[in-house]
Amino acid sequence: MSWSEFLWFAIPAVICWLTAGTLVYLNKKDSAADLLMVAGIIIFAAFIIGLWIGQKEPPLRTIGETRLWYSFFLATIGYFTYRHWKYKWMLSFSSLVACVFVFINIFKPEIHSTDLMPALRSYWFVPHVTVYILSYAMLGAATITSAIQLVNINKGKPDPKLYRLMDNAVYVGFGFLMLGLLMGAVWAKDAWGHYWSWDPKETWAFITVAAYLVYIHIRLLKPDAKLALWILFLAFVLLMITWIGINYLPVSQNSVHTYTN
Amino acid sequence: MIAHKRKIGRFPWRYKESLVFILSVIIIGIVLQVTIGKVDFNLFRAPVNIITGVCIVLFLAIFSLARKTPFYRWFSGVPFSVTLIGALLAFGLVMGLIPQQPQADSQQHAIITLPGFNQVTSSWYFVLVYFITLLSLGALIARRLIRFNIRDYAFYLNHIGLWTLLFSAGLGAPDMKRYMMYVKEGELEWRAFDGDRRTGYLPVTIQLNDFDMEVYPPKLILLNRLSGKLQPESKPDYFPVGREKTNGVLGDWKIEVNNYIHDAIPDNDGTYRSVAIPAAAPAANVTATHTATGDVRKGWVCYGNTVQPHRVLPLNSDCCIFMTQPQPRRFLSDVDVFFKNEPKIHAVLEVNKPLKAGGWTIYQTGYDRKAGRMSAYSSLELVYDPWLYPAYAGIALLAAGSVCLVCFGNRKKKSYELE
Ligand code: HEM
Repeated sequence: MSWSEFLWFAIPAVICWLTAGTLVYLNKKDSAADLLMVAGIIIFAAFIIGLWIGQKEPPLRTIGETRLWYSFFLATIGYFTYRHWKYKWMLSFSSLVACVFVFINIFKPEIHSTDLMPALRSYWFVPHVTVYILSYAMLGAATITSAIQLVNINKGKPDPKLYRLMDNAVYVGFGFLMLGLLMGAVWAKDAWGHYWSWDPKETWAFITVAAYLVYIHIRLLKPDAKLALWILFLAFVLLMITWIGINYLPVSQNSVHTYTN
Repeated sequence: MIAHKRKIGRFPWRYKESLVFILSVIIIGIVLQVTIGKVDFNLFRAPVNIITGVCIVLFLAIFSLARKTPFYRWFSGVPFSVTLIGALLAFGLVMGLIPQQPQADSQQHAIITLPGFNQVTSSWYFVLVYFITLLSLGALIARRLIRFNIRDYAFYLNHIGLWTLLFSAGLGAPDMKRYMMYVKEGELEWRAFDGDRRTGYLPVTIQLNDFDMEVYPPKLILLNRLSGKLQPESKPDYFPVGREKTNGVLGDWKIEVNNYIHDAIPDNDGTYRSVAIPAAAPAANVTATHTATGDVRKGWVCYGNTVQPHRVLPLNSDCCIFMTQPQPRRFLSDVDVFFKNEPKIHAVLEVNKPLKAGGWTIYQTGYDRKAGRMSAYSSLELVYDPWLYPAYAGIALLAAGSVCLVCFGNRKKKSYELE
């Protein structure tokens, strides 16, 4: 299987997810939404597996390919979080964002090269990128939660359960983020000679980690709730710069970790 | 909030005092930087860094006797830690926005170079804040270890892991040695160059028996020979050869790959045949048909190399089919390594597969890019880092702590939620 078959899987998955995201709000009995959500995830996973087999390398190198995983994990994690916490918006929001990434891949596919450069040919590659994407999905969910809470606060009725959800999402997401960073460090030792060289990509990974650490620790004392929510938002902006924006910064010319052509 | 009514400076200290403290440290750091220049890490080579490390641990042990004092509580508490992490984040942003330079010969403006914004990690303010973080985190760990509670294992794993990593990475940095060695095929080499291009004589000699490289099948592109631009200019087409698909489209031309030879060398009659020698290069026989006029062109294309000519397939007066330079899949050096008074070690070095021997790690880093597979030399990097194992211990603890975070999330209720 290759990218040319993407539409055959993407469109059904998108239809499943969007319908599920709408149905949770309409139906009292939400088993239809559950079914559709899971069906969408399975269809999408089938494409990823097919692509993996088709190109004989894990589809994890180009930004287009990592977006595939982002859609997949957002839908999956969104679904499980919804099952656990019973927030309907969680399902709708995560399926919507998952679909946005699908559409970006349809209209702006950056899939030109599937040739892995020598430094990327390592058993660290798949776990390293996978935990990062898991982390981005979790932290993305935390950011959505913080936005909703900010709206609640402005309406004068913050939901205490949302704080618990947010903190949990950040702890889990941060755990993945650290795992990704540490695997990257051990890998860098094998590939580049040192586990930490303050390369621009590493520097930005550090910035992101530090921003989430500020959030985690500032929440330990009774904080100004709004400040913590804004820090979470800011941390996500920094995360996006680390992931995507860095290619556009002047510093990236010196980076060994930017793989765009 | 009580903090607002409290006069600044009176205990218990919180965010305001923390901020004032860190800002003072940073200002002192900048003044030192401007007056005496960057930190000279060579001064901290072993045994100085070991003595410093022992002093830090002794200090933390003695300081922990004062753990009930408001100063200690502040120094090891949340507001100060948040401020410290915030300061490190700010340094990170400076590094992430201003290109960092390992060497001093900088073209940047004095506003950037004088306070060391182009070499943050060797600046006084960075080193001072890093050092204080080590002390603060150490004081926190000491306080929490004294009233040990096994249920806080995630806390211990994360904080002790990070402390160990910061300790070994920071104190170990001056002891790390990195050298480049350029070894010619068939020759012995013992000279190595450090970051400042000074020659060092290491206890090791390396002989390169053979350098080899595997490449990916390249791509075909449509090139305007007059302008040198790829076609169609708005969105250039490319076609990967040597894979399952044998036909595709380049601009107005339908193309069909009749034959692809990965290790090709030219024959006398202008065709190619497959011979597995380093001088071989990928070549493809292509038929191109113009979609509108039906014109047909057929011939070989090859990117060539230092001994083989480059070959394109001309389509009309200004366009031709061109093969891109094959990209490396892996490159390897077959070497013999001799350490003083040790038996020889035979190894095949490859990216991601370094050789560890005699306290050194030897990496395959590069080759002559123009010559590619025909490169007459191989560049190797030699790294010596005696603090690697403690750093890895820290990484392992941190990884275990991260797994705890992933598995349990935020189980603990915050103290202010319990009230
Ligand atoms: C990987 C890095 C880190 C992680 C994952 C982390 C995580 C946490 C967590 C989850 C807690 C609350 C748990 C508990 O109290 O049992 C905590 C507490 C705390 N952390 Fe960290 N932290 C990290 C780094 C740091 C650093 C660098 C500092 C200081 C510079 C720091 C200072 C503190 C302090 C002061 C507390 C409050 C504990 C107390 O007062 O008893 N942490 N940290």
